[in-house]
Amino acid sequence: MNSNRLVLLVLLSALAAQAQIKHIEMRVEGMT
Amino acid sequence: MKQHLGRQSGVQQVEVSLLNGKVDITPKEDGQIEPAQLLKVTYDSGVSVAEMDVTAGGKIVRDSSGTLTLEVKPNQAFEIVPNEMSHALESLAGTETRVTLRGQLYQKPPGTKKVAPTLPLKLTVSEVQKQE
Repeated sequence: MNSNRLVLLVLLSALAAQAQIKHIEMRVEGMT
Repeated sequence: MKQHLGRQSGVQQVEVSLLNGKVDITPKEDGQIEPAQLLKVTYDSGVSVAEMDVTAGGKIVRDSSGTLTLEVKPNQAFEIVPNEMSHALESLAGTETRVTLRGQLYQKPPGTKKVAPTLPLKLTVSEVQKQE
């Protein structure tokens, strides 16, 4: 039972990690 | 500006290149980063954002008005601007397929005048990096 929950937790964590912002890049002007 | 950005929720690391005005932002793994807030903070620090590009993963969904969106989280989604790349994503709308997209979230309007970023941010897809 506990191992099933652990597997589920790992799977959910993996899905959450895929669905997110991974990188942001900006180009700015007027920076001193 | 770097310090202001670094204090924002969900920001792991900020790297600024004074040479070409490029700012690289690495999000934390908690997924709490908010691009609109980063734009506002940058604007408030007196610097003008010319453009913002993002790489993000999520599901393609169609909202109630039929507009294609990238749902990054249940409470975070970006409307996708129709273009050649977005047409390829239409068949994925409403499925459990997860995609990683790269695209532009903001571009300063033409002209030299400093203007506050307009919301909501829309994603102009330039690359489909991964599809699962």
